[in-house]
This record gives sequence, structure tokens and C-alpha cells, in this order.
Amino acid sequence: MVPPPIEDSEEFGIFLDELGEMVELTEANLVELEKSPGDPGLISEVFRAMHTIKGGAATLGLEDGVKVTHAMETLLDEVRSGSRELDSSMVNLLFSVLDWLKVWRDALSTGLSRPSPVSLLEAIEEFSSSRASGPGLKMGHSVSGAGTSEMSLPPPLEESIENALAQGKTPAVLKVKFRRGAPFLSVRAYQVITYADEIADVLGSVPSIDEIERDAVGEELSVYFTPAEKGEVLVGAVSSVTDVTLVLVEPVGVSGTPKAGARSASPEEPESLAQHTAGECPVLDEPTTAAEVSVGPSAGGRGSVTDSGGEIQRQSEGAPENVGGTGNRESSKQPEAPTLAHHTPLVRKTDLGRTVRVDVSLLDFLMDTVGELVIQRTRLTQIASKLQAADETAAAGQDIGTLAAHLQRISQELQEGIMRARLLPLKNIFAKFPRLVRDLSAKCGKQVRFEMTGEDTELDRTVIEAIDDPLIHILRNAVDHGIETPEERLKKGKPPEGLIRLSAWHQENHVLIQVEDDGAGVDVEKVKESAVKKGLLSREAVSNLDEKQALELIFLPGFSTAEKPTEVSGRGVGMDVVRENLQRVNGTVEVRTRRGQGTTVSMRLPLTVAIMRALLVLAGGWVYAVPTSSVEEVVDFSGNDLQTIQGKPTIVVRGKVLPLISLQGVLEGAMWNVGKSCQYALLTRNGKSLMALAVDDLIGEEEIVVKEMGRLLSRVRGVAGATILADGDPAVILDVNYLV
Amino acid sequence: MAAESQAGESERQIVVFTLGTESYGVDIASVREIIVMQRITPVPRTPEFVQGIINLRGRVIPVLDLRKHFGFDVKPPDKDQRIVVTDVDGEIVGIIVDSVFSVMRVPDSAIEPPSPMVTGPEAQYLTGIAKTEDRLIILLDISKIITDAEKRMLKEIDLAHAVLDEGDS
Repeated sequence: MVPPPIEDSEEFGIFLDELGEMVELTEANLVELEKSPGDPGLISEVFRAMHTIKGGAATLGLEDGVKVTHAMETLLDEVRSGSRELDSSMVNLLFSVLDWLKVWRDALSTGLSRPSPVSLLEAIEEFSSSRASGPGLKMGHSVSGAGTSEMSLPPPLEESIENALAQGKTPAVLKVKFRRGAPFLSVRAYQVITYADEIADVLGSVPSIDEIERDAVGEELSVYFTPAEKGEVLVGAVSSVTDVTLVLVEPVGVSGTPKAGARSASPEEPESLAQHTAGECPVLDEPTTAAEVSVGPSAGGRGSVTDSGGEIQRQSEGAPENVGGTGNRESSKQPEAPTLAHHTPLVRKTDLGRTVRVDVSLLDFLMDTVGELVIQRTRLTQIASKLQAADETAAAGQDIGTLAAHLQRISQELQEGIMRARLLPLKNIFAKFPRLVRDLSAKCGKQVRFEMTGEDTELDRTVIEAIDDPLIHILRNAVDHGIETPEERLKKGKPPEGLIRLSAWHQENHVLIQVEDDGAGVDVEKVKESAVKKGLLSREAVSNLDEKQALELIFLPGFSTAEKPTEVSGRGVGMDVVRENLQRVNGTVEVRTRRGQGTTVSMRLPLTVAIMRALLVLAGGWVYAVPTSSVEEVVDFSGNDLQTIQGKPTIVVRGKVLPLISLQGVLEGAMWNVGKSCQYALLTRNGKSLMALAVDDLIGEEEIVVKEMGRLLSRVRGVAGATILADGDPAVILDVNYLV
Repeated sequence: MAAESQAGESERQIVVFTLGTESYGVDIASVREIIVMQRITPVPRTPEFVQGIINLRGRVIPVLDLRKHFGFDVKPPDKDQRIVVTDVDGEIVGIIVDSVFSVMRVPDSAIEPPSPMVTGPEAQYLTGIAKTEDRLIILLDISKIITDAEKRMLKEIDLAHAVLDEGDS
């Protein structure tokens, strides 16, 4: 048994996040690799991901993960060096590695028993020995120390080094090692590169700046630069970066590997420093070629800095005197980074240092608090108008009214800010879809080209969570029921490979997500037949439905057109759940289909969900909130006589005859029972048709905070949630699309 | 939760409330708080035993009427009624009871498994009967009550009703 790692530690959490990201990234890269086999950039990325995971696992002593990723890394290295070809069987092997890593990650995060790597390792070994062309697995090899020096360089970097050599320059590599398990490694790495770029010409780095921006940073960083003479200055500068434990400079030969006779910089008190760091920092495996400079959290490194030149001088001047203490080290040094970073041609400056990871529960808390603020502000407005109405308090009422207006502006801005902080790109869930479609189509014997656009579209995290399962379901349907087998497609004169396109884009205040396929389309007659067979509708009722209405049947609970449940489409989850999930976040879903040509499922989602404008209405003595977005118009019909057509009340609005439905009635199961007390009608759209919803009174339009009512009440038809009114009472928010 | 009493015997802490003439007990760990009766906003299209929703410090929670849930006679509201706010795995639900009697420690030895003689609608949530000097307390499993409520909710959502209505209009 491996001793359990410190599961509560920050590093552990960071590792799990990183692992998840790496697995997802690699999955996407593998799917791409299948399309363009042998792409060196993709292979490098996959390699790098394995390496990053390995590094993280090693730091936490998670040996199984180290073994698996190391074995894979070895294979991939053979691919990179050209001694092995990355064919489909290797891609499949990599997919099983990813699957294992996923299970492993889940086990790590839940504390459940971890999967055994034995059979996977055997599979990898078998694979590697079956067509062994490279060195094979070296499991006894010390993996935690496996550093950048063992790897060949990515082609673009190699090229720029060669160019530099060709131009007679003297490239060198700055190797930096960070403290084990230090946080913000990407920020540190970024700082190092920024410093290097100030002092020398940076050719590139391992990991690359792109990888650093993606947080794919291990404990080691190599920065390739010219000219080599700047090395000394660089070591001094870089030594001041937080969490750097080891810096050394080596000249670079033809293939990017260090050559003998290294230059290096040494601080004034190397011995004491070495002592300081010996306990925590394994020394780089570079015995003779270079002198090493260890930099602890003390100020020793500055000795060499002070006499080395202007730019670095500034850095050391800025450093506080008590650098020996670790307490305020971070806070005192961080602000200096911007002063050093001005002219950096090679380093792209993105928002790396300006983004912060925030716990979602904190955001939720802020959101709830702002929600309360909005409610209280509304209350204040009400008090103000009361005061204004009475002569003796009119002036005070005026003042409070102004205050309330100010408060409104501020709270609105605050609200919008928090809402924006909750936005996430769809990438978060889209990333796994290429793999999903690939696996499904393989299972179903279909050939599918999967295209994805708009994965950068941002949506509120609640919405993103709510559409994950529905999208999986829709994609499954598209593969399983939509796309035909290659033979069938050929018979129909279609290309054997089907197309599934997932796209997302903004439209006004909404985001549209669409899944299109060019498959067989939905057989509407079969849908009707199935609905009758399952007892959902009578044969008579079904025969009256037009095509669009019939398509709606697939959203009924318990409906599924598959003759028999298959492994892929499964049982139990259906389009009803899709619709329900979307309904929860005020989204809608629509299906269009053309026989033989394909199906399009469109989802329309609000950008954010938690706050909405709503009309507060009174019906049967209770206040209900109706989202303003679903009300087209409000009509006062108190003066008019009600017309009835076939005993059903109707009203005429600008020459249009509309059915008049009682809100109270429809909630109680007697929709045509319009009471005498009803004065107003809300014109709302129910699908394509307009209807009038009769209510007793209007209270007003307000911004309301949407509250969930708990699992127990989450599936009530026509009820979208609840809100808390100014008087503290909760009110039900109605979803008029599902009232009737 | 079982705990060691001074005598070394394990015991449970339960919240005891009444419904009609009977006393019921629930594990104190599943009770978040007990609040006085308040105005409850009804939620349309829910079974009768769902009394509605209340605002619990900014959080909207459903409230169930345990009498209705158990199929007992409805009692007009009075000042003794309480809402027992339960928390089962973070799912917060209020339960209306006639009155709350006390919080008691009951030694395990005083708890008997539910007798097969005790039947009726509440039988499935019964976890045992606690005997004290002056009363019998029926011990309930709150999570089972709520799971059952959820099942009943789902059952009462009329499946095909909506489509038929649409054909109607």
C-alpha cells in the first residue's frame, strides 16, 4: 500500500485539477491525431501532458500514476525521435491510459480504492516490446528526477537554436528548478522567462510559453537564450524569483543538448545555501558539466546580482532587507514583476498574472448576498414612495428615493460583475465530446466526422452544468439513431462518413447551441406509433397531430424511439430529461428534422440565470412571478365583455381572437374557468401560438432573484423556481411555456 | 446518533414531537432547527401533502404537512404547531408537526425494533419504538419520508396530460 498522500493539501487539489485538464487536453489531441497522424506538434503536446502528470504524481508520491505516465512517456519519446510510428493501436492504447487516469483521478478525489495499474502496465509493456524499436520501459529509472535534459526539444525550438548557432551566436540554456509542490508554478515560470527576456534574447523554453500559460508547468524549466555570456547575470536575476531552488546555466550544442565546459555563475556564499536547500531539493542530475547555484529563500543570490549590472540592480534594490524570512516573501516580491516587464518581444503577455481562481462557493455566496441587496433596495424604493405620498414626510421620502436610485445603480453593477465572474467557456464541457463521438461511432459501427465550433462561447456555470448531460444525450442520439451505417449511407447516395456538427454562438441575450447531423432524420410516423404503443396518447389524438406536434412527443417522459434499448443510447434518460434540464435554467429545446437528410436539435439558453426581470401578478390571492421575457403584452380587459367560442372564453386583441386562459384555473386544473375578478391578461407565446393568461391584478415589474426550491420541488411542471418578495414572502416563478 | 452515556451504555438523542395523540422521534442529527409556524406560499401542481414554500433566511425550502403525508385528519392551525427543519444530505425540507415536545436521550436498550403489529402508512419509515417512563415514541427515518415524498411527487405528475391538453386547444 502506498501511504495516502496529504489529500487535503493544496498541492493535492491543484494536482487533481491539473490532471483533469491534462487528460481532457490529451483526449482532444488524440482525436486530432487520428485525423492528422504523426503531427509532431500534437505528439509533443501529448508527451508534455504525460510528463506534467508524471511530475505532479511524483511530487505527491503517487507511484501508480508515475509508472503509467512514465511508461507512456517512454513510448511517446520513441515516436518523437522517429523510432516508432504512432498508429491507431497506439492511439487506442493512449485512450486506455486516459481512461485509467480518469478512474484513478476519481478514486483520488473521492478517496475510494484506486484502480490497479498492473494490467495497463502489462498492456503498455506488451505493446512496447511487440514492436520494440526503442529502449523499452525502464521502470527502475528514477522518475522524479527526470528532467528536461533527458528530452529532445520540440522542433521549432530546435530550429531556432540551430539558426542561432548558424549565425555564430552562443546559445545557452538556463535551467531552473522550483521548490517541490510550490504553488503558482506557471506564474513563477513566467517570471523567470520575463527576466530572461529582459537580459538576453530568449529563443524558447521547455515548457513553452504556451504551455506555461496553460499551466502545464512542472518543477523544472529550461529557458534557451543567447548569448551565453549573459548567463551569469541571468542566474542572479532568476535567483530572486520566489520558490526557485536551483539555477544553472549550460551552453547548448547542436542538438540542443548541453555540451561540456559549462559556464556558470556562483553566488558569494554557495556553501551555506547548499546546506539550506539540501533537505528539500533533489539536486539536478548534472554532475560535472556545470557548477550549480542553489538559491534558497534567503537573499544570498543577490551577492552576484549586485555587481552584475543595471537592470538586475533594480531588482535587488527593490528587494526588502528581511528576505531571509519566509513570511512576507511572496507579498513583497510579487509587485516587482511588472516593473521589470516592459519590452519583451518573444514572450506573449496575456492575462496570466491577472486571473485568479475563485472557489465557486464564494461566488455563490456573493451572488446570494447581492441578491439580498437587490431585494432590500426594492424595499427601500417602496418605503420611499410611501413617505413621499404623505405631506409631512415628502422631503424625507424624496431623499430616500434618490438614495434608492443610487443604490440601484451600484447594486446593478455589482450584480453584473458577479454574473460575469461566473461565466465559463463552453470548452469546459465540449472538450470531451470529440472522444465521446469517436468511441460511440466505433461502438455503433458508424463513420462520423465531428465538427465543433464556438467552444469559446461563455455561459453561466449553472447553465453549463445543466446542459452537459443533455448534450451527451443528444450526441448519443445523433450517432446511434441519426447517422446511418456506411453501407446504408452509400445506398442512399451519401458519403459513407456522416457529419455531426456541434456549434454554439451568441444571439442577443442568449446562447444557441445546436447539434446537427446529416443522418436519417426522425421518422415521425414511427414516433406517433411508439407514443400510442406506450399508452402515452390515443391513436385518435395522434392522428390529429401535425408533424411538428408529433415531434414534440419525443419530449414526453418514458418515450424512446429505439426499438430496443442499446448499449449506446441506453434506457431511462430521454429527451424528457433533456428538456427538463434545460427548463431548469430557463432554456428551451427544439427539434427539426427532414426525412433522409438529418436532424437538428437547437437549444436556446439565457446567458445567465440567477436574476431575471419578472412581472409580479396576483392570482387567487397569491403573488406569482412571470418572466418578462415570456410576456409579449399586457392587456386590460376589465371593460370588455368576454366572448366565448364553443364555451371557451376568448378575447380580441387588435382583431386577433385569442384563447383566454385563467392563471389560477390552469394552476388548479380548470384552465377555462376565468373568474370575475380577472382584470388583466398577459399575452404569452406558447410554442407558436399566442394565448392570453388572465390574472386578478398586476403588482409590477421587478428584477427578481431566482431561488431553487430544493430537489423535492424541482420537477413541477410550469414552475421554474421561487423568488423572495420585498416583504420576505416567497413567490412561485411560473414558466408559461409549460403551464398549459 | 449513538453516544456513550455516563453509565457506558450507548444512547440516541432524538427530537420528540407530536401528531395527534402520538409521539414521534427523529434523530437530532437530521434536524437543523425548529421554527414557529408561518405563512406558507402554496406551490401549484403539487400533491396535497406539500404545504408550500417558506423563506428560511434567504433560502427557499419546501414544507411538508406530515399529517397529510401520513393520511391523518387535517388539523386547523394553532399556536403549538411547529416546522421542524430537517437536513438530509444538504437537502433541506420543513415538516409541519402539531407540537414539539423536547429533545431526549434514549438509551439503546429502551428501543425496540418496529413490531410487525404496527402497520399503517408510517410503517415504512419506522426505525423503532422507544419506551420512556410516560410514553411510547415512534422513531422515524426522515430521509425515508423525504424519499417517499419525492416518489409520490413524481407519480402525481401526470404524464400525457399536457399533450392531450394541447390537442384540446
